[in-house]
Amino acid sequence: MMKFRFSRKQLCIPYALFLILFVVIPMLMILFYAFTGETADGGISFTLANFADFFTSAAKLSTLLMSFTIAIISTAICLLIAYPLAYVLARSGWKKRSVLLMIFIMPMWINFVLRITALRELLDLIGLLGTENYLNTIIGMVYDFLPFMILPLYTTLEKLDTSYLEAASDLGANKLTVFTRVTFPLSMPGVISGITMVFMPSMTNYVVSDTLSNFNITILGKLIDQYFTTYDNWHMGSMISIILLVIIFLTLLATGGFKEDKDNARGANLW
Amino acid sequence: MNRRILTGALAFCLLLPSFLAFAGCASSEKETVLRVYNWEDYISEPTVNDDGSVEDDYVDLIAKFEEENPGVTVEYSTFGTNENMYNELKINAAGYDLVCPSDYMIMKMIAEDMVEPFTQDFLENSSYMRYASPYIKDLFEENGWTEYAAAYMWGTMGYVYDPELSDTVEEDLSGWGGLWQERYARVATIKDSVRDSYFLGVAYYYRDELRELAAQFESGGLNAQDYNARITEIMNRTDAETIDGVKEGLLDLKENLYGFEVDSGKQDMIVGRISINFAWSGDAVYTMDDAEPIYDEETGDLIADGIYLNYIVPEECSNIWFDGWVMPKGANVELAQKFINFLSEPENAVANMNYIGYTSAVAGDAVFDEMVDWYSEGEAGDTDENGDPLIPYDLNYFFGGTGEYDDYVIYVSEESAKRQISAQYPTQEVLTRSAIMQHFDDATNAAVNEMWEEVKGLPIPVWAYIVIAVIAALIVITALSYVYKGKRKDPKPKKGYKVLKKGA
Repeated sequence: MMKFRFSRKQLCIPYALFLILFVVIPMLMILFYAFTGETADGGISFTLANFADFFTSAAKLSTLLMSFTIAIISTAICLLIAYPLAYVLARSGWKKRSVLLMIFIMPMWINFVLRITALRELLDLIGLLGTENYLNTIIGMVYDFLPFMILPLYTTLEKLDTSYLEAASDLGANKLTVFTRVTFPLSMPGVISGITMVFMPSMTNYVVSDTLSNFNITILGKLIDQYFTTYDNWHMGSMISIILLVIIFLTLLATGGFKEDKDNARGANLW
Repeated sequence: MNRRILTGALAFCLLLPSFLAFAGCASSEKETVLRVYNWEDYISEPTVNDDGSVEDDYVDLIAKFEEENPGVTVEYSTFGTNENMYNELKINAAGYDLVCPSDYMIMKMIAEDMVEPFTQDFLENSSYMRYASPYIKDLFEENGWTEYAAAYMWGTMGYVYDPELSDTVEEDLSGWGGLWQERYARVATIKDSVRDSYFLGVAYYYRDELRELAAQFESGGLNAQDYNARITEIMNRTDAETIDGVKEGLLDLKENLYGFEVDSGKQDMIVGRISINFAWSGDAVYTMDDAEPIYDEETGDLIADGIYLNYIVPEECSNIWFDGWVMPKGANVELAQKFINFLSEPENAVANMNYIGYTSAVAGDAVFDEMVDWYSEGEAGDTDENGDPLIPYDLNYFFGGTGEYDDYVIYVSEESAKRQISAQYPTQEVLTRSAIMQHFDDATNAAVNEMWEEVKGLPIPVWAYIVIAVIAALIVITALSYVYKGKRKDPKPKKGYKVLKKGA
């Protein structure tokens, strides 16, 4: 008779199932769709046409370029706003700082469609709606994703070992040097984590661009949606998803997100 | 492996939990379950309050049908786009008895042999055949849809506009090209939809040809039928030259627009954020209703401020659209036809029109009475508040023969004739220049979609190129600095010092 032995490994079964059903299989299907096309008689055949079509279409390339630009600018602005804030917050000795942090994070708890709709009214009041489409979209992205930048930065900076900073000061570094040579490099895991968390959704979150630009700006996420819901071409939709995936992967690689660094093991890196 | 199996597998993965939940109850009462798949908000149903109580403001048509047909349960589900509906049918072919796609999707489904024909009995004596407007029935007969589809709601496309916008707005918008005029910069929206915008683009591109036809028709050189056929031919052109012309036209228009919209156009018109909207007639009625000022019925005091908006179908042409019921292959035909007949009873059509605001394809005296109730301002010979005589609004073409009345004419003031009634029931003159837009084949569809993508994705502003250039430069500089650093030799040690080997 076989004996059933419970081991710790079996605790992973629920997640393994989830992983297979909702991650692995869908990924494989997207891959399958991306590299296939319908033949004239309704059959399915392997093709690279979707890939070639993407990189020869002026519309798709300009959409890619525009999404990229919007995402980069939004991410940079988020970083510029979030870093000083997280720095001050983490360095301050104030005991109630978690309350302050909560205030910055709280917007995340309100449905984002609602927030964007409200923002649309606000932009209309200021007079930007309908005229400054790009600016509005960037404002929306920053507004929406700022908490995702603040959180990882704050966690990294808060856990920073102050003895490094003290050592640097002891050895004669002034405050600026301490920051540029010690604090900032040590906070890189948080910066990278923040960048990935803002950059990725900024390229695809078309609710923001549609609502705030009155559908004047198309970003990649919108294009994917169009191919699945209105153009009825799942092959191209899947191909765009794969291309987006590769871009994000490359961005991660470029920013060193996959570095097996000891600093990354601090728990500050949310990925 | 074909696509259906694959999509099925995907659906299975995603819907596994719900499949398990529903597996038990799906099969038992198949004969008496009618599965209806309709657009969102497209059948009369009462308002449900937050606390779960049900208001009695609108008729609950589904409950009424179940009441009239004991033992029948309606499983009602909704979709958001024709393509979503189509894909769902491809995955779950036997899942529905009755669906309500738009015109072009019905054509596509008929062409792909996806729909069940009506029974002979239905075609000969049914409430639908009795009460559906002769105009709609003729239209279906001409196009060969009678056997497969029953019209539900229909209408035209035109501009909803604020007549106070400028002195010449009515004249300017009597041509589709009015929207391209600089004086209407940033006050107008069009639909974020390929087909509707393509129609607008074609009407603009061929505006001179269409005007010429109109002149010929007016001077008697062309009869109504030929005129309509010529317009239909033009509006269905999809050759490369047309598509390119439409693209240029729409790109120009984009510069002048406030934006595109899916559903926000109605609200933006009502609050006055925009002043012109390219709209489906049904949405136009809704917009005009909601924008009007509200007066107290007894005292006549103004309760809520508002504006009176107008609806206009430009003189070149319009698009006649409809949504209709079709039965997917394998449907419960008898029950589905029963439901269509139920919806075709004029009193139920009135309930639907009250709720949805669109125009039912069903005529009949009950519907006409409701229209008289809504729009009539008096009898022949009466005058309006300014002392001008009321003008007759002739609806015989639509209602004739579906009821007991001899004459279906409503008398309205000249002002009112430009408002809701003109959107609800276009005049016969408007219908003469209204074309049905055919369903595109796959190659055409791809070309038109590509055109639309370019309209939506271009042009890229100059600053975006600069940003990209700066980023590229930064990347190159960083990369170079790394390369340079790597090549630099370690500094020589000072005299008297020795460099230890790394790791020593």
